[in-house]
Order: sequence, then structure tokens, then C-alpha cells
Amino acid sequence: MVNYIKLIQNENMKIYRRVGTWIMLSFIVLIPILVSLVVLLAGGDDDTTSWPLIMLESYFLFSLIIIFTVVVSSDTVAGEFSRGTIKLLLIRPWSRSAILLSKYIATMMFALFFTIVAFIVTMLINLALFGSTSDSNDLGGIVSTGIVGWGDVLQYYLYQFVTLIIIVTFGFMMSSAFRSSGLAIGLSIGFLFAGNIITGLFAMADKVWVKYVLFMHLDLTSYMDGGTGPIPSHPMTLGFSLGVLAAYFAIFNLISWTVFRKRDITA
Amino acid sequence: MSQAPIVRLQDVTKVIGKRTIIDRVSFEVRPGEVFGFLGPNGSGKTTTIRMMVGLMGLTSGDIHIGGHSIRTDFPKAIVQVGAIVENPEMYKFLTGYQNLLHYARMNSSITKERIQEAIELVGLQDRIHDKVKKYSLGMRQRLGVAQAIMHRPKLLVLDEPTNGLDPAGIRELRDYLRLLARDEGTAVVVSSHMLSEMELMCDRVAILQKGQIIDVRSIRGESGVGSKPTLEEVQFDVDHPDAALGILEGQGSGRISDGLLTLSSDRAGIAAINRRLVEAGINIYGIRVKTKSLEDQFLEMTGSETIG
Repeated sequence: MVNYIKLIQNENMKIYRRVGTWIMLSFIVLIPILVSLVVLLAGGDDDTTSWPLIMLESYFLFSLIIIFTVVVSSDTVAGEFSRGTIKLLLIRPWSRSAILLSKYIATMMFALFFTIVAFIVTMLINLALFGSTSDSNDLGGIVSTGIVGWGDVLQYYLYQFVTLIIIVTFGFMMSSAFRSSGLAIGLSIGFLFAGNIITGLFAMADKVWVKYVLFMHLDLTSYMDGGTGPIPSHPMTLGFSLGVLAAYFAIFNLISWTVFRKRDITA
Repeated sequence: MSQAPIVRLQDVTKVIGKRTIIDRVSFEVRPGEVFGFLGPNGSGKTTTIRMMVGLMGLTSGDIHIGGHSIRTDFPKAIVQVGAIVENPEMYKFLTGYQNLLHYARMNSSITKERIQEAIELVGLQDRIHDKVKKYSLGMRQRLGVAQAIMHRPKLLVLDEPTNGLDPAGIRELRDYLRLLARDEGTAVVVSSHMLSEMELMCDRVAILQKGQIIDVRSIRGESGVGSKPTLEEVQFDVDHPDAALGILEGQGSGRISDGLLTLSSDRAGIAAINRRLVEAGINIYGIRVKTKSLEDQFLEMTGSETIG
């Protein structure tokens, strides 16, 4: 067990010893601070409260975190292939599954770390600048979810983190299947954004299988405030969505592991 | 030579699609032996080496390292192997030391002192805390050697280790490999297409062509001093080759090539021929014995085949 932690330590070293990682982190820290300062200086002091701003910034930060995590997850697998370092990595007394798992864990830790930083920074800056008491919550109609307190924000982060896990797992699969970080990054991010369009498209189809399409379940925040899920015409429950996501999660991982374990290393 | 072999390949075969890349390759390497793997590009050297270290799967046959099968008992087999497969690709954004630490963490037997020892062995102590992206190719190669020997492997596998090294670097690597084999009893398997290099480095060489071993021969011992007299090609640089050829009529098959009198003879014969030519008033400027190099033998065996 102690030995296995060293494997994760290795993956962490390869993530955090790069300048790029710290540039990403600085985005996560600076963006909410700058946005809130601009709003404050623009004069929205009396009728602005923290919560809508926290929502707006969190929404944007989550998109960034997803992109960053996909970049990191692609690099951690496909990057080893393109650099050729995979050869020296796999000739150690560890099974390939153990090595892939250490990479998966390190990537998830990265995602969690960035999410926690985003949460803390957005909360602190907004509560410091605007306070938490006002009840007027309209920020020019950009965000209309009725977020009014800590509980809602935590729930929002939790739901978004589930989406993050699925997308990273997808990126991981792409990465071990194609061995090209560019392709893995491109496909995962395309997958994320195409998801919104496809959701709308499929929502119009009046078929039962629509409920089982992955894209329908990527935005769990639509269950907040007693919502019935992303597609109004197909009411679902949170439990159902989580079940579908779990099935996709298992399939993606099965593919990643099978491909990674069997593959001949010719890099 | 009663020691058990460290590595044993038995009928190793690799089929990709419909092509048989490696066809029933078998050999053994004993402790302290430097075993060369020689073949033209595309003959399957790298594939065989990748199968030996578990980077590629075997279609059939098996490879045992220290008695453990690479197919069924991978961690126990590979822990005895140190390897550089083609270029030593390192994490360029890490320092040399961090790279070594990375590999050391994956093997519980490596202590901090041992890492230091390996660094000193390859002479990188002054630059070990620099980022690898600032290293020259030769330094990267040394770092590659350090990661390969840190855990004191019983088998060292090197694929084209001299690629991109300057002559001094090649020589250093060669001396070091021989030292490891002699002093620590490490078995070394090294592949190359540089024939002259292999001749200097190896005890035995297997010649690979189209995925098959067509010959295994010992390099040392056979052509040493005191071996049985063999006929060798001798060239005489003389002022009148035609006249000389006439004088030697009846002394076997002589011919003139490139203005040199060329014939085959053994040691005693050379002296006799020399005397006769001198007595006949021919001026001799040089006598050269053309030993067949490994390269000649290799080309003879593999012919001038085209890839395919």
C-alpha cells in the first residue's frame, strides 16, 4: 500500500512540476477575483448580492476546470506515448492496470483540488465584497437559478463534479485508445459542448431510448429546486440519471483498462 | 559454464496481422555474458527486445527471466531487468534527479544512497539537478544507463544504445557494459546494426534476418592467437603485379585486384611467398592480411537483400 502511494506520488510529480499546471491554477484563482472586482467597480453595490455572482463565476470556472482536467488526463496517458516515456514506465515491477489506476487517481485528485480552490476563492471574494444577506438576486437575467445560500452552492458543485468525473473518464478512454493527446483533448471537449446541442435535438425525438443517451444526463443541475431533469418532455429522477451515468462510467473504464493492458507498445 | 541462464527465449513468435514478424526465435544468455543482436533494419531486433521486456505481447512461445515467465509472472520477471529501449526518453520538464527518483519509487529495493551511487557511476553528479531538457544526447544516454542499473538488474537490455553517441561516448558505454558483465555478473543483451561496434562489445552474436535467427556465433576465442592455421586473403603491394603473378605460378590461385596481388595463404605461406618475390627482384611495399570482419561475414550471410 505504501508502495502504491508512491506511484500516485509519481503521477502527481509529473502534473505539478510543470509550469502549465500553475498557470491553470492561477486562472482559477484570478478569474473570480477580477470578475467580482469589475462588478463592484461598475457600481453594482446596493442591489447586488453574492449568490448570483457566485453562480455565474462557478459556472464559468467549472467549464475551465473540465477543460484543464481533460488536458491533464490526456497528457498523463497519451502524453507518455507521444513522449516515448511510456516504455521506461511500463518496464517496472507493476502491472499495467496498477499504473493506469495511479494515473486515474492522480487526475481525479487534480480535479478535486481545482474544484475546491474554485469553491473557496469564489465564496471568499464574493462574501467579502458583497456580503450574504441581501435577498434581491437578479443579475441582468444571466443566471436565474434561485441560488440563495451555502447549501445550494455546495449542491451545485457536487452535481457539476459528477459531470466532471464522467468527462474525465471519457477523456481517459480516448487517451488510452488513441495515444494522441491532441485527439483525446479535442474529442472530450467536443463531446462536452456537442452534448448541449445533442440534448436539445434528442429531446424532440419521442422515443424511449432517448432517456439512455449519455448527453441527457450530463447536466445534473437541472434537478435542483425539484426540477425533472434536462429534458422537459422526458421527466426523470436524479437517481435514474445517476444510474445511467454509472453505467457509462463502467463502460468507459472497461474500455480504457482493456485497451491499455493489451496494447503493444510501439511508441 | 554451468550457470543457469538468466534469460531464456523459447520459440518466441510474433504475428501482427498476417505477417510473422518474429519466427520461433530461441536463445539463452548466461550471467556475465554480453550477447549481441545483429540484423538489418526491419529484421525484428527491436520487436524481440520489446517482447523481452514485456512491452509487446508474444503470439506464442515464452520468455523466462530468472525462471519467471514474462507472460504469467510479469512483475517478478521484470524486476530483474534494466532496459533502455531505443532512445532513453526522459521527462524533460523534470530534473535528472527527479527522473531517477520517479523510477526508484517504483522499485522498493532502491535507496537514496543507491540513486547517488548510480549518478556517480555514470558521472552526472554535477548536472543531476538540471532539467533534462538542458541535457545533451550523451548526458541523456548516461541518465538512461543510470535508471537501468539502479536496481542492480541481473539482465540489462539495450536497444541500439550507441545511436547518437560520439566515439568517446560509445567507448565509455562499451567499457562500462563489459565491466558490469565481468564484475557483477550481469547478463547484457544489446542490439545494434553497427557491426564493428558489436564485435568489440559482445561475447556472442546472434544474426537476425526476417524475424529468424540465422546464426549464433562466439566472437571471442575463435580468432585469437594460436588458433589453427586458416587460409586468409593476403594482398601484396608490389611494383610489377603481373610479373609477380608469373613468378608465383603454381602457388595456388593468385589474381590481381585494384593493382594489388591477391592470393590466399596461411602464415607460413606468406613468408615463403615473400621470400620468393624478393629473390626474384620484385619490390614489395606492403603485405596486408585481409581478415574477414564480422561485417563481411554478416553481409555474406544476409546478402544484399532489399527490405520487404
